[in-house]
Amino acid sequence: MAVIAEPIAKPVSRFQLFLDRREVLEMFLVAPAIIYVLLLVGLPLLLAVYYSLSTYTVYDPSWRFVGLRNFWDILQNPTFTQTLLNTFIFTFGSQLLGLVLGKFGAFLLLRPFPGRKIVRALIVLPFVIPVALATIAWRWLFDSLYSVFNWTLIALGILERADAPNWLGTPWLAMLCVIIINAWRFFPFAIVIFLAGITAVPQDVIDAATVDGAGFWRRNYQIILPMILPIMAIGLIFGIVFTFTDLSIVFLLTQGGPVGATSVLAFAGFKTGIESGDVAHGAAMSLFMLPVLLIVVVFMLRFIRRREI
Amino acid sequence: MRNTGLTLAAAGSAPAISAPFVSSAMAQAKTLTIVQWSHFVPEYDKWFDNFAKDWGSKNNIAVTVDHIPVANVAARAAAEASAQSGHDLFGWNGSGGAHLYKKFLVDVTDLVESTQKKYGKVSTIGRQIGYNLEDKSWTAFPDFYINFPSMYRKSMWDEIGMKPDTWDNVRIGGAKLKAKGHPVGISLGHSNDPNTTWRGVLWAFGGAVQDETGKKVVLNSKETVEAVKFVSALYKEAMTPEVLSWDDSSNNRYLVSGVGSMIINPISAYRTFQKANKKGADDTFVMAPPKGPARQIMGGAIEYYGIWKFAKNKEGALEFLKYYADHWPEAFKASEGYNNPCFANLVPKPMPLLSDDPTSTPRDKLSILQDSEGWSASPGYPGPSWPAVDEVYNDFVICDMMAKAATGQMSAEDSVKWATQQCEAIYKKWLEKA
Repeated sequence: MAVIAEPIAKPVSRFQLFLDRREVLEMFLVAPAIIYVLLLVGLPLLLAVYYSLSTYTVYDPSWRFVGLRNFWDILQNPTFTQTLLNTFIFTFGSQLLGLVLGKFGAFLLLRPFPGRKIVRALIVLPFVIPVALATIAWRWLFDSLYSVFNWTLIALGILERADAPNWLGTPWLAMLCVIIINAWRFFPFAIVIFLAGITAVPQDVIDAATVDGAGFWRRNYQIILPMILPIMAIGLIFGIVFTFTDLSIVFLLTQGGPVGATSVLAFAGFKTGIESGDVAHGAAMSLFMLPVLLIVVVFMLRFIRRREI
Repeated sequence: MRNTGLTLAAAGSAPAISAPFVSSAMAQAKTLTIVQWSHFVPEYDKWFDNFAKDWGSKNNIAVTVDHIPVANVAARAAAEASAQSGHDLFGWNGSGGAHLYKKFLVDVTDLVESTQKKYGKVSTIGRQIGYNLEDKSWTAFPDFYINFPSMYRKSMWDEIGMKPDTWDNVRIGGAKLKAKGHPVGISLGHSNDPNTTWRGVLWAFGGAVQDETGKKVVLNSKETVEAVKFVSALYKEAMTPEVLSWDDSSNNRYLVSGVGSMIINPISAYRTFQKANKKGADDTFVMAPPKGPARQIMGGAIEYYGIWKFAKNKEGALEFLKYYADHWPEAFKASEGYNNPCFANLVPKPMPLLSDDPTSTPRDKLSILQDSEGWSASPGYPGPSWPAVDEVYNDFVICDMMAKAATGQMSAEDSVKWATQQCEAIYKKWLEKA
């Protein structure tokens, strides 16, 4: 009887053993992302907290602990409370407008029509054009003397020159302008989100609803929208975070004017912390964003998790 | 300080670490890097770049000049100071910088004093920015100042038989011209020009943000209230709401469009007009700013160079500034008379171009600018410029004080109280840190 030798087990390397353990492998794979977030988000955040509790300025770059005094100082300033309110109006106004535009854009792009591929490619342009270029173009569109909008309305006989809107000179119109530009920048992203969501809804669910007599609005608002809410919420988180911390449009278009009507937190923090060199108060202003963003993100993530369950 | 120390240590050790990898030829090559704003007279930038490179080739130094938008200068300075790295020579525009970055900049007292010996005393506006009262030192080398004269369409003002030579006349004549479709155009928006112009009006009425020492806010006064009431009336009677949205170039376009009857602006507006429409420019006359009840004065913007302590070629930067000062009349001509000298005899009077400009009709149209030193002041007037002055400037407090009252958001008295509160909070903060 032939004796078959038992195969000699190859020595397994420690690294392979290490990778064979699922929880270790998971940690190993997720580590770069964690390190990235800690270095690029965590450290600057800690630095901002460190500065906000001190008297640190460019003029005197020494650190002296003052507790929450910087926060108290800026809260005493009525201009700051106006800035805080402006930030909410700017963020939620532009997100709402962006979502509405995104939803309708997605519906339009779902229908086949000649040149749809070209339109799909062109529609992402606002998202990829450098913000400086785009805002300068918008500045010309809203210019007090040469506004294309006003020129068209006057040429069509709808308006007299004396009654033409003062786009960037009237406080609420100036806020509307920055909201429109931000929504214009955001809506291609919203379209992509909506398209991804809508195309993931099983066709048989929609067909069944149609057979049961559900019309366009009912299908959209009672079937499709609830099903795509989680993915929409993810898109909204990105939109809110990016808008809340954005200063580029305000900086390039209005410099916070007229009379402070468009000043937002990021812009005010930049002016105080960077341009005026008062790093401590600038950091404190910027950190006002943190609790708001934290609440929004936690709330939305919990909402998404519940929906998925 | 520990952070700064660590950064300095890291920056200091960088050459030692990289030394083995740098070829000896590269190590010997000297460089000088300069950053400054993109000038409103583009020909000046071309001249400056060639001038700097020419100096470099004479001295075997590779010179690089970077031009950045004027609105980015402050942020760029902050970035370079934080990183302890950047250009050797930093050219600031307008308010602030020299005092805020005092700890980061090389003391240039010897350079300023030797230039004063050669070219006469530095002007008051030059002193306001670069000079430190406490230790009598110079943090920055004053390059030039930009004056803000009044520019008006002569034919329009002749038609109503008036001249915009006093602020009262600007309001009364401006109202008449507005009725004819030619309002006055002075920005009430958020940019440098209104920051400069409305300070000029405030001073002309006898008001000021701070006293001579720069330690005390004196904004809440009956003179300030009068100035604010005047601006309210000027806005309602002689201007249109579009001024609330203007940036620094808007009033230039307003003048060139043929709509505006008068603006307050550096002569770049006139130069632009000359290029766009010679006939309209010939009808545009330049005069000293209007007289107010207290004085005839206007804000001016100062330009100056600082040498970073962390600069790789501090000696080269100093040598370049010396050479530059010796060739200053060329710079003056290249800027078409826009850059005004900060040293008394740097450009002897009668000044070329300003006293006799072949492109202007009449040829002496700009001659009033030769004496602009007498009616120009920097934002800190009557005191020095310092970080608190800069923050009031950067926050557009004075523009908004005028605009809040002009648009009826607040009464003149309440608007002054609001602005005083803003200024006092800023001063309190900086006085604690000074």
